[in-house]
Amino acid sequence: MIEVRDLTKIYPPDKLALDQVNLKVGAGEFVIILGRSGAGKSTLLRCLNRLVEPSGGEVFWDGMEVTATSREGLRKVRREIGMIFQQFNLVKRATVLENVLAGRLGYAGALKSLFGRFSVEDELLALECLEQVGLAGFSERRADTLSGGEQQRVAIARALAQRPRVILADEPTASLDPRLTQTIMDILKRINKEKDITLIVSQHQLEVAMEYAERIVGLRSGRVLYDGSVSDLGPEAIEAIYGGEEGRDDQSNSRTVGH
Amino acid sequence: MTSRTVEQSAIDRLKIAQKRRNRLYFYLVSIPLLALYGWFLWETEVSLFRLRRGLPWMADFLYRMVPPDFSVLQSALRGAFETFQIAVVGTTIAALLALPLGFLSARNVASPNIFYAVRSAINFFRSIDTMVYALLFVAAVGLGPFPGVLAVITYTTTILAKLYSEAIEDIDPGPVEAITATGATRLQVLRFGIIPQVLPLFVSYLLYRLETNIRAATILGFVGAGGVGFYIQTYLRMMNYPAASCILLVLVAMVMAVDFGSSRLRKRLI
Ligand SMILES: Nc1ncnc2c1ncn2[C@@H]1O[C@H](COP(=O)(O)OP(=O)(O)OP(=O)(O)O)[C@@H](O)[C@H]1O
Ligand SMILES: [Mg+2]
Repeated sequence: MIEVRDLTKIYPPDKLALDQVNLKVGAGEFVIILGRSGAGKSTLLRCLNRLVEPSGGEVFWDGMEVTATSREGLRKVRREIGMIFQQFNLVKRATVLENVLAGRLGYAGALKSLFGRFSVEDELLALECLEQVGLAGFSERRADTLSGGEQQRVAIARALAQRPRVILADEPTASLDPRLTQTIMDILKRINKEKDITLIVSQHQLEVAMEYAERIVGLRSGRVLYDGSVSDLGPEAIEAIYGGEEGRDDQSNSRTVGH
Repeated sequence: MTSRTVEQSAIDRLKIAQKRRNRLYFYLVSIPLLALYGWFLWETEVSLFRLRRGLPWMADFLYRMVPPDFSVLQSALRGAFETFQIAVVGTTIAALLALPLGFLSARNVASPNIFYAVRSAINFFRSIDTMVYALLFVAAVGLGPFPGVLAVITYTTTILAKLYSEAIEDIDPGPVEAITATGATRLQVLRFGIIPQVLPLFVSYLLYRLETNIRAATILGFVGAGGVGFYIQTYLRMMNYPAASCILLVLVAMVMAVDFGSSRLRKRLI
């Protein structure tokens, strides 16, 4: 369903964030991208829907080359891919319902939506999505009056409103406490199982990854070091992803000291 | 241990030398600057002596202003209201014109070429004040409130465009990214990701400019561009100080009323 070939990203002037990444994700999978801070997780997820423009390699969506498609084609791909962020990225002054309705923009009539008008079906769908994340009755609240966990659930509802086939979640729990981490990961897992939506979730916490993942893709310095099931993830692989030279991912110069 | 103290005293000596050098630089720069400033004072004929000699005249001036002559109240009110109208019409039209310019001169929205072109144009036109525009427009379209409105529009558009673009550059990029990811068009991203973040600020800037423009518009009448300024100038020229003071009182009342209302509105917005 998603295929990535030799994906490379260089941030100007010369920061190699992704180094020839190859990845195939099938329908219905629950994949966790595991890696330390700076490993390239966010960059990888953003290259899939071209929020970040790759420097090299290809991304395919159902055999169609996302990296070569027109702006119009890209929009059609994007609306089938929901996205969730570490900082929730809600429009804070807008209501919960307005935030969820934003998930329909890719389908809405361009002119009508510019006046803030959505169809009745869209509004009903938005309410239904809120219900699915346990936020029925929150629709008229302003987004910035919600707690962090609630905001992230609104963000999930916004992604669901797209009726996506894939949801990309970029460290969705990194700004939440452990209990809320459970809640959010449970919701994502349930979406994956009940709605058959493919989930690609990035995580820097090993324990969370071990608990929820079926498949783990280990990333370090922009390279895939591990790609396999959780049960096969041994200590060497974990060491390769996490351990070793401090700061190798962080662009620090610790390697020049000592030795 | 001795080597350590030797080292230490060497460092101390270096520090002292550095301090002396800094002091030297300080005098080298500040003495010429002070001299320059003295020259400015001389050239602008600033003189406490002259100020003191003028005090009785000012007192006399104030004395002759009371009591205000309220028989001119009607023209005072009419003039003040025209000033208010000029400011309101000018500011609102400017607020609309500044919208596209604000977006086109925001680094995070416009493409670099457009950004530089629009921002340079705005900076160019902003360096000229409302009053100068008023002179130009009086020459172009004749006397009356209309050139005043045009002058207010021109200056206010540039200043609001600058404030708008700064507000746009300061937005949280997160929601913009999230809405782009849903497959929204660029216009939709603008409408749902950017405008909700900046609209309250825009309205607040508009109200603030309205306050400023009412003050600016009072002197537009001096050059024949409408409003209460015409009466102030006329009565002062005729040395009819009681009439002039009546008009000034009306003006002060209007400015204070508008400031009060607008600042309360602005507080509720943010
Ligand atoms: N816009 C940018 N310009 C330059 N370098 C960038 C940019 N964005 C990311 N990088 C660099 O690319 C590397 C990968 O960043 P990325 O954000 O993808 O990592 P990450 O795994 O998501 O980390 P985190 O857990 O901190 O979010 C990092 O070294 C980062 O400093
Ligand atoms: Mg990240």
